Order: sequence, then structure tokens, then C-alpha cells
Amino acid sequence: MKTVIDAHNISKTFNKKSIPVLAVKNVHLHLEKGEFVALVGPSGSGKTTLLNLIGGLDKPDQGNILINGIDITKLSANELIDFRLHNIGFVFQSFNLIPVLTAKENVELIMQLQGRGKREIKERVQTLFQEVGLSDKLNSRPAQLSGGQQQRVAVARALASKPQFVLADEPTANLDSKSAANLLDIMTKLNQEENMTFIFSTHDQRVIERARRVITLVDGEVNSDTGTYLELNHGNSLI
Amino acid sequence: MNISLAWRNIWRNKTRSFIIMTSVAIGLFAGIFVLALYEGMINNRVRTVIDTEVGHLQIHHKQFKEDYDPKFSMNEQQVINSLKSFHQIKYLSTRTVTFGMLSTTTGSTHVRINGITNNAENNTSKLKDKIKEGKELSEGKKNGVLIGKKLADKMKLKLNNKIVLTFTDKDNNLTAGAFRIVGIYQSDNTPLDELNVYVSKNVLNNYLNLPQNSCNEIAILLHDDKDLQTTKEEIQKKFPELAIETWKETSPETNLMVGYVDEFSIIYVIIIMIALAFGIINTMLMSVLERTREIGMLTALGMNRKKVFLLILSETVLLTFVGVPLGILASWLATIYFSKAGIDISSFSEAAMSGFGFSSIIYPEFPSDSLPKVLIIIIITALVSALFPSLKAIKLQPADALRQ
Repeated sequence: MKTVIDAHNISKTFNKKSIPVLAVKNVHLHLEKGEFVALVGPSGSGKTTLLNLIGGLDKPDQGNILINGIDITKLSANELIDFRLHNIGFVFQSFNLIPVLTAKENVELIMQLQGRGKREIKERVQTLFQEVGLSDKLNSRPAQLSGGQQQRVAVARALASKPQFVLADEPTANLDSKSAANLLDIMTKLNQEENMTFIFSTHDQRVIERARRVITLVDGEVNSDTGTYLELNHGNSLI
Repeated sequence: MNISLAWRNIWRNKTRSFIIMTSVAIGLFAGIFVLALYEGMINNRVRTVIDTEVGHLQIHHKQFKEDYDPKFSMNEQQVINSLKSFHQIKYLSTRTVTFGMLSTTTGSTHVRINGITNNAENNTSKLKDKIKEGKELSEGKKNGVLIGKKLADKMKLKLNNKIVLTFTDKDNNLTAGAFRIVGIYQSDNTPLDELNVYVSKNVLNNYLNLPQNSCNEIAILLHDDKDLQTTKEEIQKKFPELAIETWKETSPETNLMVGYVDEFSIIYVIIIMIALAFGIINTMLMSVLERTREIGMLTALGMNRKKVFLLILSETVLLTFVGVPLGILASWLATIYFSKAGIDISSFSEAAMSGFGFSSIIYPEFPSDSLPKVLIIIIITALVSALFPSLKAIKLQPADALRQ
């Protein structure tokens, strides 16, 4: 299997000048291509911080993060932006679609930033919207879509750049059960059929149940890193 | 996509964008209209100087203007005959000029005494049109004098009052003559009204002991302003012994005003734009702060700092430039209207205006020549205003921005 993420001994502290908060502590992480991973743990356990570090949105105070062999902690701010554009897809809890653009334009924007040709963009948009089941909502503005539909557009946007992996921060937190299940179906299908790597931070039992690897964080440290939800917990809640 | 996104972004908060666009339009309207007023005022002043005061060109004996000594005169017939070949000359008038003392029973004052011939003077300085009381000088009645209203008020003089003009003749002998006021004139230039009195040239020449065909000054009006310099040079070539001056040399203060008014008007526009810039900066800064999370998300997804900077810059420039055509159109329409109707400011500044030789009715003229400068100032305003919000946007750290 191909290694996608290889993080060594990463730590991150906030508020260094006042009351320091150690958000991530000496974390080692090794992820292979095609994994479907859930980062779980109580609030303040460092899930989002760890996702931000892996996604190059924040820099660790110590340790290295290698993505496809490239140490992203050594990249400059501009190099990091370019690296994210071509290698990482993001799905946020509150969708974060641009409200003045249509669903199609939100997805196109990423490919335009990558400098792709018009024809390629058009074809990929069609494919992505078919995959997320929103072919009839291409020209809808985010405000005209339900929460579930907006998050599906966000997934299409995350996949538009053909990333190495997708980081999803609490993707189902703002969705009802039906929409969450629908979104997870799409992600599972993409993982199984296209071998797309997904890493979630989540409190959501439904997401954890689908994960094929569950990493539990407590106080910024990896408490456990093992197989599926059932294997790990025999049905008891992890969070 | 950047421009399209910028355009849509400025319409997110319609009220706020509308207020800024309106401010830009009003600011631009005010700026251009101030330019139009100045342009109208200065052009009107130049026309007054040329058409009713000094003419396009003046010819003097080379030494005349050193002391305004009447002995430095010209043979007018000789000069006029030579000037007949100049087709660019529309009118000319000959004058005998000296300085002297106007005395009444109650006081005296310093005046410039102009000896004129009626018809010629009416053509070159429209003296007849300026007469408010009485009538023009009559060839039949000797020793009539026209005085300005300002002088009449100052010396408490009325029509038919007698005055005595005292001056030196060409041989430096003190001479005096009694004159009766036949008319009181009023122009837009009160200092000149206070200084100039007009008598018949024949009468003045007699007092000065000058031959009847002598004069000290020839004022020339041309058909076209553009011929000013070439005509001066041609006349100078023909009469190297005489001093030929354009209105710019005869009335240097007007020429100075023409030179400076453009710069002063541009300074007004800059001041207006500085005030506007603060409004634009405030609006764009609010817009950026409101979208902290979204800008952080764009950076997270891979929009580099240059593109974020250009996005905010484009929004600011678009926001500014939507108001520009409205401002230009409004100022153009207002200028068209007031260029015909005029703006009468006599009720609060007639004395001040005429004190500087300006008419109290202003006819604005659209400042087409200054428009490129105004547009450059607006572009600079927009770019400078965009700088702070754009820098603020690119300094956002994606992780911090997404946490908000």
C-alpha cells in the first residue's frame, strides 16, 4: 500500500504567551492510500487541530508531516497553499460554500485555481455532480440547497482538485439523519470504488460506524489507533 | 472568475454598496462641478479681459509703459494702414492714455485718463454696453467724460457734475481741464471702474499737445484666439520699433489665474477623494472582516495570497467605478443646464467677485480637458483604498480564520 500521510512526533501548543494549551502532543500517524479513518474523541481533544496540521492549515511546533514524501512543515506559506490546492481536499462542518456562486461555480473555482482547461472543468463538474447526486442542482445557489445538498456540493468541491486525500471536519454535524446517511453513502462509495482516502474528525456515531479505522484522541494524545468501531468497542460509545 | 466573484461580492450587502457608490457619484459630481465652475469663471474672466478690457493685442511706443508719458506716441494712421493687410484682425481702436488727478469740490483721486473714439472703442471694449446712466461721449459736446460707477460712488459724483482733470502734457507742463460727466459705466471689474475715465481722444490730444493723428495705445481684437501669438509676431516683424503685447502680457494676473486654476481645482478633487477614500476603506474593511471565515476557507482550499489580494482589490475598484459614470453623467447634465441658466451669486458675493474682475453670474463649462486627470485621481483613490483591506485579507491565517 502507498503511504499518504506520515506524521512523526507532532505537537502543537496554543496561547504560548498567556496560558499555554497543548492541543496535540507527540502524535505519530501513518495513513495508507484508500483508508477511511475517523478521528474521534471528546471536545477539546485536538481532533480539529490534528486535521489542520495534516492539512497544512497550521504548522506544528515540533515534528514532521510527510505527505507523499514531502515534508509540509518545511514549506513556505505560498508553497503550502499551492500544495493544498493540488493534494488535499477539505470538507468543513458548516459547508463553507461561497454564497454568491452557484453550486457548479463553487466546484469550478478550485479547478480554475489549478489552471485547468474549460473542457476538462466542464466534464469533471458533470462527473462530480453525478457522483454526489446533484446533477439537477448545478445552477442553484447554496441558499437554495438544503444542508445535506450543500455538504454534497462541498464534497464535490473537495474532490474537484483530484486530491491525495480528503480531510472532513465534522462533516455530518449540521445534517439530519437522512442527509448524513446519504453523504456517508457517497463518501463510502468514493472510498470503495475510487480508493479515495478520507480522514474525518467526528463526534457522530454514524460516521464512526462506517470507519474502517478509528483513532481516538484524548487531551491531544493518541489514546488508541485500531480497527473498526465494532472491533474496537464492541458496541460501546467511544466519545 | 476573480472579476465575476468580485462583482457578485460587492452586491452581497446592497445597501452598503449602494451608499458607497452614491458617495463616489456625489463626490465625483462635486469635484467635476467645482472644476466646471472654475473653468467657466476663468474662461469668462479671460473673455472679459479680451473682449471688454485689453483686447487680444496692444501696441505701444516701446518706452510708453515705463512712465506712461504721453510724449511716447505713435502715428496712428501709419500703423492702421499697415495693419489693414492683417485679415485676422477683427477690430482695432486707438487711444491716448495718461494718468492724472480727478478733482471735485470735495476731494481728488488718481485716475487713468483714456482718450477714445466712440465707434472704435465700442467695438473693442464694448464701452457703450457698460453705460448704466447717461450716454456715450458725443463729438459735438466738448469735454464730456465717462466715469465708472465705483468712482462716482467714491467721489459722490452724479451725471452732469463737473470735475477737473489735471495732468502733464507731452512737454511736461501741468495742464488741467474741466469736464462734465455725461455717463456712468459699470463693468465686472470694479478696480478698473474706479481707475479709468474716458474722454474724447481729440479733446485729450489737444490738452496733451499731441497731433490729432497720434495715439499711445492701439487695442486689437482678433477673429480667433488661436491667432494670438502668430499675429503678434507678424506685427512685431512689421513694427520692430513698437512694443506688441498679448493680453497675457497686458493682464499678467489673468494669465497667472489661468495657469493656477487648474491645479487648484485638482487639489479640490483630491481633497474630496481623500474623504471618500476613508468611506471606501471602511466599507471594504467591514466586508473583509465579515468574510474572515470565507477568505480563510478560500486560502485553505488553495487560493494564493496574490489572488486573494486581487479579489479584494477588484471588489474595491468595481465598487468605486460603478459610481463614476453616474457622477460624470450628473455633473455633465448639471453643467449643461447651468451653462445656459447661469449661477447667480450676486446676492452674497457680487462685490467680492467684481473686486477680482469676475462676473457674479457663473456659467460653468464641462472640464473635458481635466477629466483624464480626475479619472487618474479616482483610480489612485480606489487602489490606495483597496490596499489596507487587501493586506488585511492576505494576512489571515486559514486555521485562525476558519475557527471564527
